[in-house]
Amino acid sequence: MTAIEVNGLRKSHRGFEAVKGVSFEVGEGQIFALLGRNGAGKTTTIEVLAGFQRADGGTVRVLGLDPYADRTALRRRTGIMLQEAGFFPDLTVAQTVDTWRGLIAAPRPRDEALELAGLAGKRGTKVRQLSGGEKRRLDLALALLGRPDVLFLDEPTTGMDPEARRATWGVVRDLAGQGTTILLTTHYLEEAQRLASTMAIMDAGEVVAAGDMAETLAAQAGRVAFRMPAHVHPADLPLPVTLEGGTAVCRAEDPDLAAQTLLTWAAERGLRLAGLEVRTATLEDLFLESAR
Amino acid sequence: MNPTFLEGAPMSLIATFRLGTRLFWRDKAVLLGTVVTPVGLAVGMPLLLNVVESASLATSVFQSALSLLLAITAFMSVTVALTAQRDQLLLKRLRTTGLTDGQILFGQIVSTATQTVAMIVLSTVAVRVLAGVPLPDDPLGFAAIVIAGSVVMALLGAAYTAAVPRAELASAYTMPVFLVAGVSAGAMGPIPLPDWLEPVLDLLPTTAVVNAVRTGDLAVAALILAGWTVAGLVAIRLWFRWEPRRS
Ligand SMILES: Nc1ncnc2c1ncn2[C@@H]1O[C@H](COP(=O)(O)OP(=O)(O)OP(=O)(O)O)[C@@H](O)[C@H]1O
Ligand SMILES: [Mg+2]
Repeated sequence: MTAIEVNGLRKSHRGFEAVKGVSFEVGEGQIFALLGRNGAGKTTTIEVLAGFQRADGGTVRVLGLDPYADRTALRRRTGIMLQEAGFFPDLTVAQTVDTWRGLIAAPRPRDEALELAGLAGKRGTKVRQLSGGEKRRLDLALALLGRPDVLFLDEPTTGMDPEARRATWGVVRDLAGQGTTILLTTHYLEEAQRLASTMAIMDAGEVVAAGDMAETLAAQAGRVAFRMPAHVHPADLPLPVTLEGGTAVCRAEDPDLAAQTLLTWAAERGLRLAGLEVRTATLEDLFLESAR
Repeated sequence: MNPTFLEGAPMSLIATFRLGTRLFWRDKAVLLGTVVTPVGLAVGMPLLLNVVESASLATSVFQSALSLLLAITAFMSVTVALTAQRDQLLLKRLRTTGLTDGQILFGQIVSTATQTVAMIVLSTVAVRVLAGVPLPDDPLGFAAIVIAGSVVMALLGAAYTAAVPRAELASAYTMPVFLVAGVSAGAMGPIPLPDWLEPVLDLLPTTAVVNAVRTGDLAVAALILAGWTVAGLVAIRLWFRWEPRRS
């Protein structure tokens, strides 16, 4: 079953076209990562999907509904962590969650939500006294309150410490395991790579790469890097490399094989390839290559 | 406003009502501006006049002062609250809940109107005790027109937020409304107005309420308030902004 369907979505802000014909699909229970540089159009896309903005063109369906026209019905089935939204600064964490529970049908118990977001120890703290990462956790707690079928997370872990981030990944995975469809954006590509099964990279309002995470990465060239030995010219090497400062970088479908070739070549000449690094393609490589 | 705005969620409505009320009583600055000042005026002026003039003048001034209570405690306070929530992206967050847009606004309007009615009742009792102003002859009619006036002014205040560029300007932008409401109901003392202007000012919701309280004739006021209700709903539908302007 497809939970989210986006077809040729266009959205302009006063003449500026922020999203220019974006299409993708997210299956039920999948985690989908929407990636791209600042200003690529990710938030705009999410806000259209969550019914905050009306699409200018194309069709958008969430759980088979039009997110803008049917936003009343849809709001009860979706949760969203906005990139930016306010809190009532004078309420405590517990009061905030309680207030929000009153606005949602069949909410999670307060302590369960706080536990999920790792905020259990901050119940009595006023929101204005929370740190940036703690506010983000409170955001997460509120987004999870309604046990949504579809969850939109716009940069959910921005400002969180490494531990909190990992805990959040665990929560996201568990929810997906229980059938929640999750669309997230992030600038932490490792996060996207670890969490998402499918992804799309946007650039200047267009999708420039998309597909199954594992397949896309497997099709991508890996990388061998080492410090260029003194008095060696790139043209002398058995494989083409590019120089990044003093580091030679060789891109290859099979980085292990490339590394072997290079090491053999070096051994024959009594050279050392210092700082040798071999790795398969990461999402970051793909990102830097696509979003140019 | 969504036609299904009451659909299936009286609990949510109560929750937004409580939220609006709770925030109102928490904000000391708002309380000073929208409770202490207008109630002070509405009670203080009749009190003074009762001493230096007569109880009948005190009564007339109190009736005029109802326009100030409506303009400040209903209209201004809803404008201030909603623009602040809009600019702090709180309205946006409220829209992420199961609440409909109509419920969010309606809860705030009803909460503000309730506070206004409470302030008017409080002032009415206070001037009875302190300034010899008699209680209304027709308490039910008085209650009905005060409740209707409070709701309509809160609704109009919600619609007026569209004209306020930023939350800091909310008080300044509602000042003219407060002045016009006060002057046209005679709450600022006897200010000579051109003949053609008076019938126009009588069409204001605040003046309609004051006139109804003075004369006991509710029909005209009901008609005027109904007209303003339609205008307010249409304006909200067309122009209400849920997020701060970005340009
Ligand atoms: N309300 C608006 N008015 C004018 N321009 C806007 C508005 N919202 C977004 N934009 C523009 O549209 C583009 C896309 O913005 P968007 O917020 O979708 O980017 P993003 O991919 O989420 O970026 P980031 O990673 O920085 O959050 C940006 O260039 C932004 O300046
Ligand atoms: Mg964004």
